Amino acid sequence: MNLVAECRLRNDPAESRQIEAWIQSFAETAHLTPAARSAFDHSLVEWITNVISYAFVEPGEHWIIVRFLTAPGQARIEVEDDGREFNPLNLPPVDTSTPLERRSIGGLGIHMVRQMMDSVEYRRTNGRNILTMTRRVE
Amino acid sequence: MPINTKTSGDGVELFLAGRVDGAMANELEVAVLEAIRGGTKTLYINMAEATFLCSAGLRVLLQYWRQMKGAGKQFIVTNPSPEVNSVLVMTGFREQMVEGGQR
Repeated sequence: MNLVAECRLRNDPAESRQIEAWIQSFAETAHLTPAARSAFDHSLVEWITNVISYAFVEPGEHWIIVRFLTAPGQARIEVEDDGREFNPLNLPPVDTSTPLERRSIGGLGIHMVRQMMDSVEYRRTNGRNILTMTRRVE
Repeated sequence: MPINTKTSGDGVELFLAGRVDGAMANELEVAVLEAIRGGTKTLYINMAEATFLCSAGLRVLLQYWRQMKGAGKQFIVTNPSPEVNSVLVMTGFREQMVEGGQR
């Protein structure tokens, strides 16, 4: 995988507004189709929102690192944070056939990331969470 | 982008445009609560111009869809854009929440 860009944002919801521009730049560099661009945009927003909302138990400033990578036929985004350990792949899958009256309100963001990406991997390294989201591209 | 509101009879229609991200989801919740407080019997969420719908927006839709349904009222998503429609299908919301969702 070739690293094409690395960006950082603070654990402040307002910082998420940068994501759209980052994805636009990545889409141009990696020649993403509109569908792939949208999938990365959506997945990154969902995961960053999750990290900012739940990863940091103590108040204070934390930096989240976002890496954009490409390889022949693949594009990838890697997100690294120093929050508490959390593997989203351990969450039970969302049953989308359950009537809305009985539906759990949580877990939809991770569900969508898993639907939109071809592979999602998690690892905990040196006290840091690293989530890797990969999608095949044409 | 501001949420526009149109009232007709005993119904209220909210028009969402652009990215329905966390910040817009908060604005949506405020607009929905205002309509409910106003006594609307039917709330339409028009998403023809919305280009993005994140899980924070979905949570607002689900919470107030349930609340209005439980009160014998209607909460209906109308005209979802292709981007929003794919999210509603992916999460299983479309069938129950969108006007003509079974089709």
